[in-house]
Amino acid sequence: MPTETLTREIFGNIGTVPKMIFYALAVIAGLIAIKTAWPRIRRWRSGRAVDSRHSAGQTVRAIFARVLSQSTLNRTRPAASRAHRCLFGGFAVLTLGTVLIAVEHVAALLAGREADQPVFHKGLYYAIYEPVMDLAGLAVLFGAGWFLVRRRRGDASIGHRGSDWMVLFALLFLGASGFLVEGLRIIEADSPGRWVSFVGAAVAGGLESVGVTREAAVVIHQFTWWLHAVVALGLLAAVPSTRLWHAVAGGVLLSRHPERPLGTMTPVTIEEVEATGVFGISQMDHLAIRQLVSLDACVSCGRCQDECPAHAAGKPLSPRQVVQDLAGQLRGIGSDSTPALAGGVVSEETLWSCTSCSACVEVCPLGVDPLELIIGMRRHLVGAGAVRGPAATALQKLGRSGNPWGLPPDQRMDWAEGLEVPTVDDQPDFEVLYWVGCAAAYDRQSRRTARAMVRLLQVAGVRFAVLGERERCTGESARRMGEEFVFAELAAHNVKELGQHDVTRIVTHCPHCLNSLKHDYPDAGGHYEVVHHSEFLSTLVDEGRLQVDRSAAETVTFHDPCYLARVNGIVDAPRDVLAATGAQLDELPRHGCRTACCGGGGGRMWLDDGPEDRVGRDRIKEITTAGAETVVVSCPFCRTMIGDGLATEGHSANVVDLAEVLFESLEETG
Amino acid sequence: MSFLVLVPTKRVPDTDGVIRVTPDELDVDTSHLSFVINPFDAIAVEEALRLRERREDVEVVVVGIGGEAYEDELRTALAMGADRAIRVDAAEPLDPWNVACILSELARRLEPRLVLMGKQAVDDDSAQTGQFLAARLGWPQATFASRIDDSDHGAEVARETDHGIETLSVTWPAVITADLRLNEPRYASLPGILAARGKPIEEMSLEELGIEIEPRVELVGLQQVSSQRTGQQLETVTELLECLRENTELF
Repeated sequence: MPTETLTREIFGNIGTVPKMIFYALAVIAGLIAIKTAWPRIRRWRSGRAVDSRHSAGQTVRAIFARVLSQSTLNRTRPAASRAHRCLFGGFAVLTLGTVLIAVEHVAALLAGREADQPVFHKGLYYAIYEPVMDLAGLAVLFGAGWFLVRRRRGDASIGHRGSDWMVLFALLFLGASGFLVEGLRIIEADSPGRWVSFVGAAVAGGLESVGVTREAAVVIHQFTWWLHAVVALGLLAAVPSTRLWHAVAGGVLLSRHPERPLGTMTPVTIEEVEATGVFGISQMDHLAIRQLVSLDACVSCGRCQDECPAHAAGKPLSPRQVVQDLAGQLRGIGSDSTPALAGGVVSEETLWSCTSCSACVEVCPLGVDPLELIIGMRRHLVGAGAVRGPAATALQKLGRSGNPWGLPPDQRMDWAEGLEVPTVDDQPDFEVLYWVGCAAAYDRQSRRTARAMVRLLQVAGVRFAVLGERERCTGESARRMGEEFVFAELAAHNVKELGQHDVTRIVTHCPHCLNSLKHDYPDAGGHYEVVHHSEFLSTLVDEGRLQVDRSAAETVTFHDPCYLARVNGIVDAPRDVLAATGAQLDELPRHGCRTACCGGGGGRMWLDDGPEDRVGRDRIKEITTAGAETVVVSCPFCRTMIGDGLATEGHSANVVDLAEVLFESLEETG
Repeated sequence: MSFLVLVPTKRVPDTDGVIRVTPDELDVDTSHLSFVINPFDAIAVEEALRLRERREDVEVVVVGIGGEAYEDELRTALAMGADRAIRVDAAEPLDPWNVACILSELARRLEPRLVLMGKQAVDDDSAQTGQFLAARLGWPQATFASRIDDSDHGAEVARETDHGIETLSVTWPAVITADLRLNEPRYASLPGILAARGKPIEEMSLEELGIEIEPRVELVGLQQVSSQRTGQQLETVTELLECLRENTELF
């Protein structure tokens, strides 16, 4: 059949008066949507405008790259993500198709054409349009159906609201009634080339086979068309008051607000605190615009909760619940009687359970950042003095002695005894500064890392130096505990020392120091090239500056630190170093950027937990199940947490740092 | 009349610091030390704040006796929540009797219902000031308190002794000294300290108080305790027994 004759009548079988009624209803539905959306948008605008926003061009790019592509869904829950793509894609295509129909209709009216003489809705265009729309309809049916089945199973990891059922049934109904309308229209209009609309044609065939005549179809078509139209317009009107609103808020969040690299934090200065009297988040109007939008964007899908190590360990923290609890306070914005957020709406225990592992931030398809909200509320707790016990002690020690153990700074070089480690004063023309960190300076286990590291640097002939007694804690954990000012003090000290010795390049074995120097220190005026020792050592091996004996190979397992792998994307370098030693790597189930937290981040290193309550217990199980004799780590916190965890389990595996493994396999040391 | 709680605080070297004696063996080398509120006094400040939280009309006044450097520690106490502070300008060191003299004069002038202070300062560990003060004022005293149940007329105080918990009943006005387990002091953060900047620190001189310092304790000398560790790691219990047999008279 020639494609030229392919077309169908727009609003076929629908009279002029019903058409007018339909357009009037559409306007009313649109007005209802705007009326209910407006207070929500106004609430966003009441937030603090603290962050940059995308330009128009960047926004358009982000709409394609992050929203329409659905690329942020990739990370977990493949089945649900697929269903969402179907639902979203199908709905987007159908919406676009409907808009095109409206354009055609208006264009035909303006051109004064008859109803059966469309402007562009014909021929090849029509031959593509119809099957695409049918596929989109199938996708919506599949997506809505899948989500309904999951909801029916009562999955506890997703949020449940009465209106969720309504939305999903409405979507399912729209898909089904759309095909019914199409099938009836095909019978009624008997337009040529009905198989172009293959689903509609199948429906038509089915209806005809049960005896639906053309005369009957004319009547039933009008009836189902109206049902379809009313439900569609009703759904449009309901967007701002149902979870469908996430499409708007999430779209705004993903397209208007630049993606913030994991591991970065929003700085606050003492001048700001003095001027505003606000430190951290204790009321809704302390939230930034971006954060208020994110509360509306959260659809309670539970991906963050799946990933949260504190939640897995039975702590009272679920990132989803934190966001939802805050979202529950959105209505109260502007009223006088809002409850306190930190320690009220979200309990102190919940806030202190977070390890800042950033898994929730990384996994959220809508760009919600629960970690930033948690640290914002921690800031308030710290500012209000509501921090007790070991957390307070660690912060006080950091403030007084510059390390979380409170040990004297003049013992900072004790670890290097007998190794002739040059300080910046001994060796002013160093090519790279080795940042030792407090753990390696004071903790007996971690000292081994630093001792292996400097011997490697010496063997490779690297001209390095350390800050020695001038070094202080980077303030990383203080900052993540919400103590911005102890961090600021420590950072100011370190930035000054690093500046005085013209440091531009830093190597460190501690991912927390690395992240802080890289992502926190620019806020304190420090800009350096920071590399992890795994990267540095991997390069030394590649350049042949370290001769490795591969014969003593054994099977090891490697635990990726959150702040190395997930937050800073350094995954290959430690594996390259291990491969160079000839070690067989037995990967843990969760590895690379999808690693599992040891429980030591976010200041939790300094909080006392019984063995049964420790975050990271499931990680220990994973390691013991893997069964390797040697667990290689590349973070001092992981070393302590995993070492303690294995000891508690009565497991005898050896926990060593990457640098030690490499040093042991050097040809010279045999 | 408000229920005034006077909390004397001492400025002491950070307990994590390494204490070194000056070459003349007459003083502690403070050049590398950081200072804190005596931890027992911080507990007293916290208890006073809790008292204010559960009773009406309580005013918490912290006192420091010493040079200008004391202001940092007084600011910390104000940041914790104390209402105001007084610094009595005096040269250190002062022995407990003279501190008690100064405090008793202050108590006569301010008429507190309660003097709440640490059981001892962690620098010289004298543990005498509270007792001297109560004696000078003729007030009841309850030292080494691990729990305070206050009423309108006085308080039931549980005190930790070598033989167990002793409970005393004191009537206001009284002197109570705080032991370690009384409470855990709250954290004083920078925003809190900033907020405390508006709170007054009143300065007083010894002349104003009409006090002349008459030392009763003379510092003859200080000696560094050797921190050389002579421990060694042994492999087996048998080795340990042998070692003990050789080097001790236990067996």
